[in-house]
Amino acid sequence: MRRPTEEAPWLRWVLCLAAVGVAVLFLVLPLVAVFAEAFRRGWGPVAKSLSDPDALAAVRLTLLVAAIAVPVNLVGGVAAAWAIAKFDFPGRRLLMVLIELPFSVSPVISGLVYVLVFGAQGWLGPWLEERGVQVVFALPGIVLATIFVTFPFVARTLIPLMQDQGRTEEEAAATLGAGGWRMFLHVTLPNIRWALLSGVLLCNARAMGEFGAVSVVSGHVRGETNTMPLHVEILYNEYQFVAAFAVAGLLALLALVTLAAKAMLERAG
Amino acid sequence: MSVRLARRSLPGLALGLAAPARAQGGGPLLNVSYDPTREFYRAYNGAFAQWWREKSGQAVRVNTSHGGSGRQARAVIDGLAADVVTLALAYDIDAIAERGLIAPDWQRRLPENSAPYTSTILFLVRKGNPKGIREWGDLVKPGVGVITPNPKTSGGARWNYLAAWAWARRNAGGDAGAAEYLGRLLRNVPVLDAGARGSTTSFAQRAQGDVLLAWENEAHLAFAEFGEGQFEIVVPSLSILAEPPVAVVDRNVDRRGTRAVAEAYLEHLYSPEAQALAAKHHYRPRDRAALAAARATFPDLPLVTVDAEFGGWAEAQRAHFADGGSFDRLYQPGR
Amino acid sequence: MIEVRGLRLRYGGVAALDGVDLALRAGEFVALLGASGSGKTTLLRSLAGLEFPEAGQVLVEGRDMAAVPARERRVGFVFQNYALFRHMTVFENIAFGLRIKPRRVRPGRAEIARRVEELLALVRLSGMGGRYPDQLSGGQRQRVALARALAIEPRVLLLDEPFGALDAKVRKELRHWLRGLHDRLGLTSLFVTHDQDEALELADRVAVMRDGRVVQFDTPEALLAAPADAGVAGFLGDAVPVDCVVREGRAWFEGLPPVAVEGVAEGKAVAFLRPADLLAESGDGGARVVAARQDGRGVRLTVEVGAMLLEATPAPGWVPRRGEACRITVLAARVFPA
Repeated sequence: MRRPTEEAPWLRWVLCLAAVGVAVLFLVLPLVAVFAEAFRRGWGPVAKSLSDPDALAAVRLTLLVAAIAVPVNLVGGVAAAWAIAKFDFPGRRLLMVLIELPFSVSPVISGLVYVLVFGAQGWLGPWLEERGVQVVFALPGIVLATIFVTFPFVARTLIPLMQDQGRTEEEAAATLGAGGWRMFLHVTLPNIRWALLSGVLLCNARAMGEFGAVSVVSGHVRGETNTMPLHVEILYNEYQFVAAFAVAGLLALLALVTLAAKAMLERAG
Repeated sequence: MSVRLARRSLPGLALGLAAPARAQGGGPLLNVSYDPTREFYRAYNGAFAQWWREKSGQAVRVNTSHGGSGRQARAVIDGLAADVVTLALAYDIDAIAERGLIAPDWQRRLPENSAPYTSTILFLVRKGNPKGIREWGDLVKPGVGVITPNPKTSGGARWNYLAAWAWARRNAGGDAGAAEYLGRLLRNVPVLDAGARGSTTSFAQRAQGDVLLAWENEAHLAFAEFGEGQFEIVVPSLSILAEPPVAVVDRNVDRRGTRAVAEAYLEHLYSPEAQALAAKHHYRPRDRAALAAARATFPDLPLVTVDAEFGGWAEAQRAHFADGGSFDRLYQPGR
Repeated sequence: MIEVRGLRLRYGGVAALDGVDLALRAGEFVALLGASGSGKTTLLRSLAGLEFPEAGQVLVEGRDMAAVPARERRVGFVFQNYALFRHMTVFENIAFGLRIKPRRVRPGRAEIARRVEELLALVRLSGMGGRYPDQLSGGQRQRVALARALAIEPRVLLLDEPFGALDAKVRKELRHWLRGLHDRLGLTSLFVTHDQDEALELADRVAVMRDGRVVQFDTPEALLAAPADAGVAGFLGDAVPVDCVVREGRAWFEGLPPVAVEGVAEGKAVAFLRPADLLAESGDGGARVVAARQDGRGVRLTVEVGAMLLEATPAPGWVPRRGEACRITVLAARVFPA
């Protein structure tokens, strides 16, 4: 006996199969292919390519960039989301637009902007050169470009949630004597922790995997300024396909590990 | 290749990359090179490090960066701290010199116009040459897919283009005929990669197109990587003498105190050891002995030069590759 | 104790507060009564420091609150939707105000626990300290919100439609319990409501607000007996406006006997008649019983007089039946010029 708002059983099956099919085709198969290609000739070549000094340097650089970019975006994103959701101030709309900016701009353009500003021929170039500070084609440039493209993740996850939750709990805290910091720590933060975790993980995944913007500001110096995605491209271009897939597999593994960590934290929480 | 990553800790890596320039000599050398030289410089860097240690007792580490020649020149201008540049054509190094980073007379500082090895452009086709491509004229036959990189970013692509133009000028009715020929050629190009290696990958790995216009060394490398059974090398009736030059980036080596090592790095490219290595990687060495020894791998064919044929790189750039040049006029993607 | 002078506040282009003047005495239980949009919640929030007026003053115990932020005002605020901290237990909610005090003045853990237990007993929720807000009923949550506000020993208790979301029976209970609490603790309380029964029943004085101003501030008896204007008269006490003409000291109606009035100019007027003002008796008087219903309070009688339907009070001893003819006497009326 079918309820009025239920669809026919056959339709349900079709939709489920279609969803599973799409997921398998676009998500599972490529992932499986990466690992399959990497291990095509067994563990030996994989171990060798991962212990290659340039590969290790790429892994370290990727982890370092993520370790800097993610906390910066965490703090920045939370601050921006809090300001937008809980307060009215002139320029609030503008801030919301700016937060969306990295999403609408091509990553390559983002990288190019940094070259235009910090490069030797750029606005700040001569000033930086005088002081011997290297921003583009070095770690700071890579970190800045990564921060730019991953900034929205935390903010965008939090803003709708915080807007939905409204201000009354914070107002109650205010009447009870809480100042801004305590209000944030004891009232706002606990209410958003799962969304925050989700945003941080998205930010982390993108920070580790960003290619376009980093490629423009990197300089591609082997062993120095290549992140893992860049290194994968280099290996591929040198016909070292097994090595390329091995490093790509490692990158995928890092992503899977962070997802697993998130699932575990959610279960425990 | 001597590598000291074991000593580098994360903070060291971070500091090392963002630190102010060191006053005295030391620190790794950066060679900013063009796309196809990856394998060659990996081998050469190791050989050079060993030679330098024996000669001076110092350890040196050489880092490399590869990409399309034009793009790499652009990066050096924008602040990539190269100690030496080893690019595809003199014009790209001139662009850097124009910004004051390299002395204007750089090309005369090393023998043979600062080009320690030369190369040329050949065709790479599929085994059996099913489309029967033997000559430049065959490239404009309907249904033939030609793979070449983008002349705006790739040095190799500019050599390709000029070689084609030189042939067409002789065989297709002067400059007017050459323009028409290039127009038809470009219409047969399905994709323009940014660098020579990208094109090789498109052709060899992704099986796009029927013929690859390639650096000689790229053609041989594709052979080696994919098994000789897959491709054939076709030598056209005419090609261009490509002289990829090298130079020390004066501003950077003086600031970093690495001039001695950098100059030695480039000079050593002319040594018999390095020339043999170049030949091994399918670059035509300047050294006569090395060239004779490797005669078999380097087919003889008439070669034109940029200076004689096109009046030098500045002129060629202006006429063909600058904004509004012949490439811009003739390349209409999607048509 | 609390004084408000000339408070003004605009939202967008609309004046939410348009010159509010009010003065509360210590220990009073005052209701802010008005329709939606009259500004009563805005006024309450301004007193708490949650809204920032453009002009006017708020003085608490003589001190200007303009420079005092919400967290320093020591007002207890009970929100309409309770605003309990959803991730904290009941105990932690109530203890919050005490725990965040600066170290110098913060009570010790044992002391805090003692006070929280005391408050839980006060609001009759002992033993519920370990529960979370989403495990409580609406009425229970409201009591927790009250306990939380009282924990900091506020000078003033502000309540924003505290019983708005509760069902009728719970409302009645809590209403009286709240008044009892107020009396016992000697608080000064100001609560916002749109329910006039509540306001008239509980408050020492009621401030009727309309369009951002206080129209009348008086005891409930005074408000009912002598409404300041037609708006107040029509708002309170189930009054129905009926057109009339004032002549020779009496208000003359169509279909109803006239009634004496004082101090109203001659000419067209509007009279506000409450059920208690109209006495219905059996007999032939030009009116007819339309409906007679028994509810908890007695008989609600609706009569038809001419073209009007009015509510009246039946004479003692008479049981009205539908369709029966009856006679209406107007005992009193509040009349205002039209």
